[in-house]
Amino acid sequence: MSNYDIVDSTESLQKLIENVRKAQKEFATFSQEKVDKIFFAAAMAANKARIPLAKLAVEETGMGVIEDKVIKNNYAAEYIYNKYKNEKTVGVVDEDKSYGYRKVLEPIGLIGAVIPTTNPTSTAIFKTLICLKTRNGIIISPHPRAKKSTIEAAKIVLEAAVKAGAPEGIIGWIDVPSLDLTNMLMSEVDTILATGGPGMVKAAYSSGKPALGVGAGNVPAVIDESADIILAVNSIIHSKTFDNGMICASEQSCIVDSKIYDKVKDEFKKRGCYFLKPDEIEKVRKTIIINGALNAKIVGQKAHTIAELAGVKVPETTKVLIGEVESVDLSEEFAHEKLSPVLAMYKSENFEESIAKASKLIYDGGLGHTASLFINTMTEQEKMQKFYSSMPTCRVVINMPSSQGGIGDIYNFKITPSLTLGCGSWGGNSVSENVGIKHLLNVKTVVERRNNMLWVRMPEKVYIKRGCLPVAIEELKYVMDKKKVFIVTDKFLFENGYTKVVTDKLDEMGIQHTTFSNVAPDPNLACAKEGAKLMQEFKPDCIIAIGGGSAMDAGKIMWVLYEHPEADFLDMAMRFMDIRKRVYTFPKMGEKAYFIAVPTSAGTGSEVTPFAVITDEQTGVKYPLADYELLPKMAIVDADMMMNAPKGLTSASGIDALVHSIEAYVSMMATEFTDSMALEAIKIIFEYLPKAYEEGANNPVAREKMAHAATLAGMAFANAFLGICHSMGHKLGAFHHLPHGVTVSLVLNDVMRFNAEEVPYKMGTFPQYDHPHTLRRYAEIAEAIGITGKNDNEKLEKLLKKIDELKDSIGIKHTIKDYGIEEKDFLATLDEMSEQAFDDQCTGANPRYPTIEEIKNLYLKAYYGK
Amino acid sequence: MSYNLNNPIARRATKVVYKDDGNTIKLFNEGYSKADIFNEALNQARVEEGTSLKIGKLKEVTTIDNKLGIVSNYVEGETLEELMRKNPEKMDEYLNLFVDIQMDVFSKKVPLINRMKDKYKNRIESSDLFEEHTKYDLLQRLEGMKNHFKLCHGDFVPSNIIVTESGEHYLIDWSHVTQGNASGDVAMTYLQLCMKGYKDIAEKYLNLYAEKSNTDKNYIQQWIPIVAAVQYVKQKPEEVEILKQWIDVIEPQ
Repeated sequence: MSNYDIVDSTESLQKLIENVRKAQKEFATFSQEKVDKIFFAAAMAANKARIPLAKLAVEETGMGVIEDKVIKNNYAAEYIYNKYKNEKTVGVVDEDKSYGYRKVLEPIGLIGAVIPTTNPTSTAIFKTLICLKTRNGIIISPHPRAKKSTIEAAKIVLEAAVKAGAPEGIIGWIDVPSLDLTNMLMSEVDTILATGGPGMVKAAYSSGKPALGVGAGNVPAVIDESADIILAVNSIIHSKTFDNGMICASEQSCIVDSKIYDKVKDEFKKRGCYFLKPDEIEKVRKTIIINGALNAKIVGQKAHTIAELAGVKVPETTKVLIGEVESVDLSEEFAHEKLSPVLAMYKSENFEESIAKASKLIYDGGLGHTASLFINTMTEQEKMQKFYSSMPTCRVVINMPSSQGGIGDIYNFKITPSLTLGCGSWGGNSVSENVGIKHLLNVKTVVERRNNMLWVRMPEKVYIKRGCLPVAIEELKYVMDKKKVFIVTDKFLFENGYTKVVTDKLDEMGIQHTTFSNVAPDPNLACAKEGAKLMQEFKPDCIIAIGGGSAMDAGKIMWVLYEHPEADFLDMAMRFMDIRKRVYTFPKMGEKAYFIAVPTSAGTGSEVTPFAVITDEQTGVKYPLADYELLPKMAIVDADMMMNAPKGLTSASGIDALVHSIEAYVSMMATEFTDSMALEAIKIIFEYLPKAYEEGANNPVAREKMAHAATLAGMAFANAFLGICHSMGHKLGAFHHLPHGVTVSLVLNDVMRFNAEEVPYKMGTFPQYDHPHTLRRYAEIAEAIGITGKNDNEKLEKLLKKIDELKDSIGIKHTIKDYGIEEKDFLATLDEMSEQAFDDQCTGANPRYPTIEEIKNLYLKAYYGK
Repeated sequence: MSYNLNNPIARRATKVVYKDDGNTIKLFNEGYSKADIFNEALNQARVEEGTSLKIGKLKEVTTIDNKLGIVSNYVEGETLEELMRKNPEKMDEYLNLFVDIQMDVFSKKVPLINRMKDKYKNRIESSDLFEEHTKYDLLQRLEGMKNHFKLCHGDFVPSNIIVTESGEHYLIDWSHVTQGNASGDVAMTYLQLCMKGYKDIAEKYLNLYAEKSNTDKNYIQQWIPIVAAVQYVKQKPEEVEILKQWIDVIEPQ
């Protein structure tokens, strides 16, 4: 097992890459059980070799402390194993059957690992182990200074892994490292795990492959006046002397509050640290940093050795050389990262100054890495927060040695144990956490198609049947105990006594009331504000809107303004794709007043819908509001209120109800619940609308049937929504001032042919709408009203004919032109109308997604009738 | 053309420079790389044609007694180095001028000239004077440096600037010219000044350049181990010890 081909050239590296890739392909098929067995065996073998590997590393690099390297090796084997032993890294790790969602873990493939001189064996153990756990292959590029020990560590892990069943050659390495080979490796692998200096990390990031590179540290330790001085000083010494200060998370300077400075200094002295005298400081400066760069000779050396190099005499047992310096600028050598038991010490006047000094040190040398603070966490939470908010580092360790604290699981137990510490965007890295197995896995998400959840919502009570109004009103006293009622209506209805039946009943029950009768057709914001102002004064606990769409919509808006005077119309009117995912949260309604809608025409359905339209009279902009909060709490559908409706109103609102039901029926969001209501409404309208139109009050049955049909249609489209008849109708009405019911009926036939197309340019987007099947839906409508035909196309044509006949019977004309709109006026507005119709809220539910051009053509057809 | 070679003005190990009637003749030793000589002449021509910089104009490459020589216009005047020595009280003024001229050079682009990083990489890579790990670290450091394409003289020292009587300044000796990172060229100037024993002037120069060009001094210093290695390859006995120290540094971890 000990014969490996020497990798010292691009050819041999190419061969190695192929071999490891081949091994990894097999490894990728391994089960969790097999992987865990290999992971265990590899960790055990690495742990067993901790002492020989430590000795080899120190011998080869001439840096560090054997006993501390033993700890690092032990840590890399044991803590990494312990952290991940129960973690799933193979197959499905997360599943939600009801959503049809699965998270599947896959290996990345081949990892290229660059290993630094400072931790040559422990980093090798760490990286090979996490690759084994994640079924990745790995090729190591060691540093030439530490290649023997790094390769030996990798070999030990590999041999144990293979013995436990891993594919042969799953771990590889470059025997004779050179920059060219390292670069070649980086450009060939799937992900790079780069630990080392900025040059190497930069090379990794510029290789074109995803890189988990990590940056350099320059850790400042701030000792606050509240700190436990003994704990602080001894922690720093413990950390700073660990492996002779070679851990990147090690403290490079400490910043001490002047109030405790002397005590801190005494403690450092007491524990064997040496404070350099001014002339000695100068000597050490020139020794540790040469032209702004760290002298390689001092890295990982004992304090005494470094002092000797500088020509300074210190006791052999000196733990740390401390230079008391003032500048935190890079022109001060002590402000650099020193990777040795040399520490800068600063005096600061207060906590703010400490933070400023620490920040500067980090900005100049350790962005994103680690900052350390010693403080009383019981009493100084605020300061602590200030500190961690100010530090541009990915780790802030408090009251602990930062070397051991930063790598995790020794002085804290929630940071991921790791020997590769991400420095985030501050350090120019892609990771800000401690690197672990999650960075070596591809997470595959498997999702099955699911229907979008839908619901059916309507007012809590809908009173129906002629004469139900006074009965329903009685509830206000005897069930709800309401005290003050505010009635919203229009002048015509008020003057003609339509509200009297309500006010009489209220008087009889001793309920206070007032009436606002100033609602005009197409109600505007000024009117709504006026009503809301009166409401603020009157403070009703119940609002009754009596009238057609205008009065009911105005009532809804007044209700919003009364309950939430702060609400912004632009926010509420923002167009949305899904009413349940909209950005704006509509304010909660009903906390001040109970809202009742009483329709006086059979058409709009507003009494059961969550919609309201209001016009800003200053800008002319129409705000369509839609939210279930706007749903009336109670609807009272009493045909007695509609008996004497004029013919024009009966036809326009009746045909509106027909369009509501047809659009709701073919909407992508139609359900069985809305279908049954829509179809029933259609059947009633075809039979009773002409009668109600012709006979009016003389046919109370037709009136009642139409009242119910309009409300049924309202319930259907309140839940299934509408389509582009309404998109186009809204804009046609806005630009050319035709009654709403008329506008939607004028485009109905052409839109139906458009929607019925089985090869549309684009179909609508909704999971339940799986293919263009609207022709069938129209055929179902035809069948429901008794139309027969040899195929669906014929049924559609007959249905369209029947609609034309219905229009004829109630005095609705067939084309826009017929309504006296001048051709030039129409054409002048066509482009703008088309674009606005396209963007209308109703377009979203249409089964065919229209282009603006298609809408334009539909308008033209509706105008000319061909 | 024939030249009178009776007036040598400089002698180097590989060449002798003569002055003759408004010409400078840089005559290389026999056996000196032809490619290098023609390359130097080509670079000089490119700078001359591609920029508005005032330089000694190239006249010809010629052969005299089997030796190749580059003939350029002789520029009459004193070198900035001589002026610095003569008028030490004007040092600040001279240093300002020195930095301004260098920044002016950096502002030029001559696209076909060799790349600084390629040249340095080649020098370090092909030398067997470095330990394996030192070479690795140096090349790594070099590779991490930003790729710029500024005209860099390569031996920008006061002795290569000639100030004429009328106060015009000419830049001579374009044998080391490259296009690359200005900080690399500044580091080289700093190094050359230090090696010539002008440590204090070098420091002043570095601080002045950093200030005037709004460059982080530390960013320039990152080039020092690299230019030190390039210089070290020349193995000048009086320099090797100090350069070794400059080279043996480690990147932060």
